[in-house]
Amino acid sequence: MASDRAVNRRMERGEFFMKVLIICTEKLPVPPIRGGAIQTYIAGSVQSLSKDHQITILGITDPDLPEKETIAGIEYVRVPGKLLEIYREGIVHFLKDQTFDLIHIFNRPRLVIPVREVAPNARIVLSMHNDMFKLEKIEPEEAKKAIAQLDKIITISNYIGKAITELYPEAQSKLQTIYSGVDLERFIPAYTEKGKRIRESVRREHNLEGKKVILFAGRLSANKGADVLVRAIPELEKNHSNIALIIVGSKWFSQDDITDYVAYVRALAARMSVPVITTGFVAPEEIQNWFCAADIFVCPSQWQEPLARVHYEAMAAGLPIVTTARGGNPEVIEGGKNGFVVENPEDPHEFALHLAKLLSNPNLRNEMGQYGRKLAEEKYTWNRVVSNIASVWREMEQKIKNKIAIGSTNDATNEDLEAIATEAENELEMNAEMADVNSQLVIESGKEVLDGIIETNETKESGEMTEVLADAEEEIIETPPLKKIFICYNNPPAKPWLKVNKKEKSRKR
Amino acid sequence: MSEEQIIIPWDLDGTLGDLFVPEYIVEMANVVVTYYDLQVSHMEVITTKADKGGLIWKIETDKGPMSLKILHRRPTRSLFSLGAQEYLVVEKKAKVPPIIKTKMGENFVEMGGKLWFIAEWIQPLEPVEKSLEGAKLLCSAIGEFHNLSKGYVPPSGAEMASRLYRWPKTYKKIVKKMAWFRDIAKAYHEMPASSTILAVIDMFESQAIKALQMLEQSAYFQLAARGNKEWGLVHQDYGWSNGQKGADGMWIIDLDGVAYDLPIRDLRKLITGTMDDLGTWDITWVKGMIDAYQETNPIEKELMEILLIDMSLPNLFYKNVKELLFEPTVFMDGELETLVNRIVEMDKTKWPVIEQLTEEWKGVSSS
Repeated sequence: MASDRAVNRRMERGEFFMKVLIICTEKLPVPPIRGGAIQTYIAGSVQSLSKDHQITILGITDPDLPEKETIAGIEYVRVPGKLLEIYREGIVHFLKDQTFDLIHIFNRPRLVIPVREVAPNARIVLSMHNDMFKLEKIEPEEAKKAIAQLDKIITISNYIGKAITELYPEAQSKLQTIYSGVDLERFIPAYTEKGKRIRESVRREHNLEGKKVILFAGRLSANKGADVLVRAIPELEKNHSNIALIIVGSKWFSQDDITDYVAYVRALAARMSVPVITTGFVAPEEIQNWFCAADIFVCPSQWQEPLARVHYEAMAAGLPIVTTARGGNPEVIEGGKNGFVVENPEDPHEFALHLAKLLSNPNLRNEMGQYGRKLAEEKYTWNRVVSNIASVWREMEQKIKNKIAIGSTNDATNEDLEAIATEAENELEMNAEMADVNSQLVIESGKEVLDGIIETNETKESGEMTEVLADAEEEIIETPPLKKIFICYNNPPAKPWLKVNKKEKSRKR
Repeated sequence: MSEEQIIIPWDLDGTLGDLFVPEYIVEMANVVVTYYDLQVSHMEVITTKADKGGLIWKIETDKGPMSLKILHRRPTRSLFSLGAQEYLVVEKKAKVPPIIKTKMGENFVEMGGKLWFIAEWIQPLEPVEKSLEGAKLLCSAIGEFHNLSKGYVPPSGAEMASRLYRWPKTYKKIVKKMAWFRDIAKAYHEMPASSTILAVIDMFESQAIKALQMLEQSAYFQLAARGNKEWGLVHQDYGWSNGQKGADGMWIIDLDGVAYDLPIRDLRKLITGTMDDLGTWDITWVKGMIDAYQETNPIEKELMEILLIDMSLPNLFYKNVKELLFEPTVFMDGELETLVNRIVEMDKTKWPVIEQLTEEWKGVSSS
């Protein structure tokens, strides 16, 4: 809750205290007790934002959470979710007898119009973490109406913004990219004292001493491209016999449903002459240890993804990055300085070329890793994320004060703009007060899905599965499997892969 | 059994036997039946989907024999199928088993994170004869099913289960997996089936690519644009066991996988499966089956083209080979080699049939 001091200070500056409603998605609850990138993002930012505003968070119900509660001055209201239609009803019902100055919706353009109908005077801001404006997600007519009602569209990468304006050019003036952040205390380079200790311990534990370790972290799905990385290994083995590949991904050990893709990747991996370590599910609070143990980070994404969070984590961990020219990923790479961009992501050879360069040049690895860490410290902190959101909110505050029409963007007067600019400066000064944000985030941010953002509609690989038209951009974290880590050093042989009697089944006729 | 107990798949390595049921699920079943106005005297496990957490019992009650089922899918997904079953029985008088209501008037009980429901056990019910006549009965029955299912709207709270718009995606996945099969066959080149697979994979891959191109150039997109409700439901798991002969005609059972789709998906699967059983493609059978289907649900010209395109996918090869990804060192044995060779031989008999059907359909005007 905003302290009296903060309120007074702001009142002196002629500002008022906004009533803000944050609307989460219908998939997972906030606080992020079941994981979820967006949920974590919200939980990580609201503490600081609540210093200057009265915040209500509207999310979905969960057996482990009450329908209403107030924690640290933030009000939580929970209505039934899972299906957008049901959630929408709950939101509308809640908003009928409430008034807010600002409503900040996350990742659901389809909530804008229903919200507007019951909140005719609120400023509405929309944060886009995925391409939810695409045609199969929202009817063009509704999308256009929604955009007209918005005062700002925050996107997590320029790519997401571009995807929106390609369909709806009128959104251009409302767009603002706010890159996500990383916890610099958790993800630390191996060249620090603490990092070195972690690195040595992980490497000892998994028999990796003296190896050059290539790291993949993300979901095991064709879109994420782990197979292309595995297929690049044979070319590298020839000149670099002391490499190891670590695949940190939660699907590998899934007990009830091994996808065809996972089967494919591990069948390939089992044939490498160098160690391929597949960690299975890694507890969120331990994931940074694998980054510490690695030498190179690879993001072999094949799909147009918004911008995978692992890039920030790799930078913070001081790792050079090899990523692909897909979606927002190249936006955080300065070619040759903190990483390389693979132009043809389906080509294992191109990965091998970049990797070979890094593998044979330890100085280059160090330089690039250090530069990445510097970028993370300068540009990708959570403080900066929070302060960006705060200045968007401040901009809304100015609009309310100056009675600028809802949904308009260009009729702000020069004075308004100057006022906003001054605000932004003040905001930076106030960052010092937000120094505790990081510690808040340490607790929660680890809970998110590895790569943060999950592609839509990527359901099970099984061809017989009925596909569902529901949105699926968030993943519910799987329960940790009984057996946590399987190591196949010096493989082959690759054994105790979970035995599935697939053969039996398929041949039963 | 605690109240929070969630049903999880119980037989992942297939060692417990087909009819094994964990004790806590039996206990749940005993609780579930108390939600109904039924006296249960006997329960018998009929089949399990142990790897997915699904199950069917036959129960004897004071109101006659019933089936008690655990639907393995997400509750919101199962709701779609239950709504469909009710719609077909109540609105359309279709021959699918009527759902028994709970004391509260619900179609299901939710327990262990799954939906359970009870339906009438239709008897007598017997499989159709394994002959062209039997195949025709199956075809006309599913045609009628498709026809009656048009107009279905799922209840609120149910997911929209639709595969109508996903055909290109499904085709692309098959194309992609051909490359996976090749990669694995190369990586495990010492296995008996590897060289056979490598010898034919290019052919089947180009068949898949060609089918995809044809689909994209076909009227598919216009047809799909008519929408889910217009097309109605497709069983998705229809075959010689889910269509059976009752006292007064054909019944269709096991509706839990139904989804909106182009109706000919069921027909195509039935035809390919039947040809597989025959060991060769037989124009008399294929035509007989299509004609029988058309008696209850006529196929317009544009849709017929898609049926032919769908037949031209390497369905049989894909279905039989895809398991090699799981345990290549076990699966790619001599048996698979023999099987692949058989599929290749069968494939040769498929093309003349498709060609002849294409010819015959060319002159036909669109409905």
